[in-house]
Amino acid sequence: MLDRELVAEILAAARRKGGDFAEVFVEERSSTSIRLDDAKVEELTTGLDRGAGVRVAHGTTYGYAYSNRLDRDALLEAAAAASAALRGDAPGPVVDLTDRFGPGTNRAERAAGSLPAAEKVAWLREVDEVARVTSPEVIQVTGIYFDSLQRRLIAASDGRWIDEERPRIRLVAQVVAKRGDVIQTGWDGPAACAGIEFLDAHPPRVTAERAAKRAVAMLDSIPAPAGEMPVVVANGCGGVLFHEAVGHPLEADAVDKEASVYRGRVGERCASELIDGVDDATIANGWGSYDFDDEGEPSQRTELFREGVLQGFLQDRLRAAKMGVQPTGNGRRESYAHPPIVRMTNTNILPGKEDPDEVIRSTPKGVYVRGLGGGQVNPATGDFVFGVSEGYLIENGEVTTPVRGANLIGRAIEVMSAVDAVGSDFETWEGVCGKDGQGAPVGSGSPTLRISRITVGGTGA
Amino acid sequence: MPELGELVHAAVAAAEGDEQVEAYAEEGRQTEVSALRAEVEGMTFAESRGLGVRVIRDGRLGYAWAADPTLDEAQETVWRARDNAALAEPDEHNGLPDAQPFAPMPEIFREDSASVSADDKVRMALDLERYAVTRDPRVTKVDLAQVGDAVSRVAIASTTGVDVEYARTDAWAVVVTLAVEGDETQTGFSFSITRGLDVLSWEPVAEEAVDRAVAMLGASKPPTTKVPVVLDPFAASSFLGVLASAVNAENVLKGRSLFADMVGQQVGSAAFTLVDDGRRLDGPGACPFDSEGLPSGRTELFTGGMLNGFLHDTYTARRSGAGQPSTGNAKRGGYRSTPGVGTSNFFVDAGEVTFDELLAKADGGVLVREVSGVHSGANPISGEFSVGATGLRISGGATGEPLREMTIASTIPEMLKGVAGVGSDLRFFSSVGTPSILIGEMTLAGV
Repeated sequence: MLDRELVAEILAAARRKGGDFAEVFVEERSSTSIRLDDAKVEELTTGLDRGAGVRVAHGTTYGYAYSNRLDRDALLEAAAAASAALRGDAPGPVVDLTDRFGPGTNRAERAAGSLPAAEKVAWLREVDEVARVTSPEVIQVTGIYFDSLQRRLIAASDGRWIDEERPRIRLVAQVVAKRGDVIQTGWDGPAACAGIEFLDAHPPRVTAERAAKRAVAMLDSIPAPAGEMPVVVANGCGGVLFHEAVGHPLEADAVDKEASVYRGRVGERCASELIDGVDDATIANGWGSYDFDDEGEPSQRTELFREGVLQGFLQDRLRAAKMGVQPTGNGRRESYAHPPIVRMTNTNILPGKEDPDEVIRSTPKGVYVRGLGGGQVNPATGDFVFGVSEGYLIENGEVTTPVRGANLIGRAIEVMSAVDAVGSDFETWEGVCGKDGQGAPVGSGSPTLRISRITVGGTGA
Repeated sequence: MPELGELVHAAVAAAEGDEQVEAYAEEGRQTEVSALRAEVEGMTFAESRGLGVRVIRDGRLGYAWAADPTLDEAQETVWRARDNAALAEPDEHNGLPDAQPFAPMPEIFREDSASVSADDKVRMALDLERYAVTRDPRVTKVDLAQVGDAVSRVAIASTTGVDVEYARTDAWAVVVTLAVEGDETQTGFSFSITRGLDVLSWEPVAEEAVDRAVAMLGASKPPTTKVPVVLDPFAASSFLGVLASAVNAENVLKGRSLFADMVGQQVGSAAFTLVDDGRRLDGPGACPFDSEGLPSGRTELFTGGMLNGFLHDTYTARRSGAGQPSTGNAKRGGYRSTPGVGTSNFFVDAGEVTFDELLAKADGGVLVREVSGVHSGANPISGEFSVGATGLRISGGATGEPLREMTIASTIPEMLKGVAGVGSDLRFFSSVGTPSILIGEMTLAGV
């Protein structure tokens, strides 16, 4: 995208005041998004994005400047602006830029860009048709198809030069069902860093059917109960909970700012001994996977909990250097328009030994959560909240009536310590996580889990 | 580098036959500085430009965008949008609006804001952090202390005669403090936005962030019960996104709004009035025209609890028929996205009751100061919600013990019916604003 000589010149300019390192991030991204709504293909958008960001860091202080102009003048201007954040006056060196190659974690077999848009449109029509025939109570269907190809160049003053391509694909079905005055919604949206072969394994009709069935099932729902009770979280959903409640406070920037409940607790038991948890960016074609992070650190599988004992934190370059540990490859950015920050990738609770059906059977009374709408955590206090998009009562060991308007609220360490059953099943969920104004595609996964006691917020008895 | 006006005119000039072409270009410069432990934590300079093009041909809509295009690339963007239109389905309601006169708003561009140098911004961020960590012995650190400002320009031109431009400046300060006592940590947030850093008073932001964190120390989890609730402006503003979605005409037309069949009905209590006003200068969302180039205006969505109508762009207005005009509410996330219905300054109109009078009416209830999880815990289609909350117990007309790890749950119509008082303390948070609001009764879940 840029030649090495120019990049070296920019890095040298960025190091005019020294600092620990300078880095250039260049990106070109082409994308297609198609939206079918109200039984019509409403919108087909193609975009071409490109830009570059220059970062200079000293300790945990950084300067960052970006531009979507890629000419020499604009890039040198960005280098000058970024370096203004530093106080030093001795220029730093730039090591010869040398290629580093990754294993090809996200290789696409069939590139989405090579497929005519008309075929992508046909998938959305299938979503609409399948969702509507699933039930006469389906009144509205939205189908969204998205693919992109991001090409990134990361070069830094320590000589790293990484050129990596990331293909992304996602197909989403959102369904609205209505009976009398009751309106409910259902959602499904598998995603991967892959080519169109991904949709062979996750066909549009299955996505449509799942979303439609969820919406229709919730039409029978009664208001959710309120108060503390046992909650069984279905496989897949527990990963979202783990990501939000536990993963965010394990990000080293929160730890460094003394804004994490896990600070100073590595080696301590901070979860039930049934909990083994990892953050793993090396999963082939995972939604949160890559060869190198957005600082050019190789991706890895990072152990977070072993039998409930905290193993360590998720690091970027700045925080790792300060804490005197190795980076874990968790420095990510939404685009060239954002400085990298510590982020999760694919965050999973590993499967346990229990039969998931038996977990439910051995719960006399509680709530079964099969869909979480996402949540929010305050890493400093550990307080978190999740909306339940699909939930049911458990009565005498059986999943019975659906409940609506529920959420789960608790504190990270208490709730993870209250897990008293872990199933042998496993499922993933893909989402986009927001932090500091940046969105990052993240995966999460889990087996079926039971939390012996957690507050359910609802309006019912 | 072409001017924005040149870019949009070049794109419109590439129109063919009787197709409609609209070009939207924007550029922005933004600086943000955050401070931590008396050092600069981060300093970000951003510069961006881009162009988005809508082509409507035989009722089919196509869109394409490009970052920082040349004049040739602006034309190519039109070609790509045209190709995309060929694959979309025709919709008779697709169409660009005819140009309408609008009154410029020079007030939203503050020339003097450019006089604040990068060094001044660094000093301001450092001062802000130092001030925040020296107010109270229990607050010695921040999670975030940041100041920022931005200059942005927008130009829109179309084959239907739209040819408009405007510029704006914005500046903000945000603080998140950490209050520590024993092994307990609590956080406090505050935020302020103005037209320029030269007129931004940041001390109150730090003070409020400190007060809000300290007040939460010692918080406990309350028992599950139904109580009167006062939502302060921070908490109340969190619900405005759900209301914005429900009064969006596109959602109404597509069966995705709980208000769809309620126009003319008394949905909320007489104390509840909800307004969108793009010309209100004290709101950060002020702008002379919307993302299709139509003049911004004032739309009263609820008056005394009665639902009057919805927010429209050109598409939803045409599709609604019956002479419905656009309310000037076409908005977009930037040049990368097509316009859709959105809000400008969207706020609950202030009442006449003071905050203390609201507290006096809520004895035994709870003052909710922060809600969390609204994006996942509130359903704008069914209107049900259950969200996390923190706040203070109300007794004898004053606030008392702090409460955490609780949820409040209800439905939007019940909450609106339950509005028993609206404060005079209207405050804008970005482009949404609200005063403190007393809700007669809500389910509060804890132990």
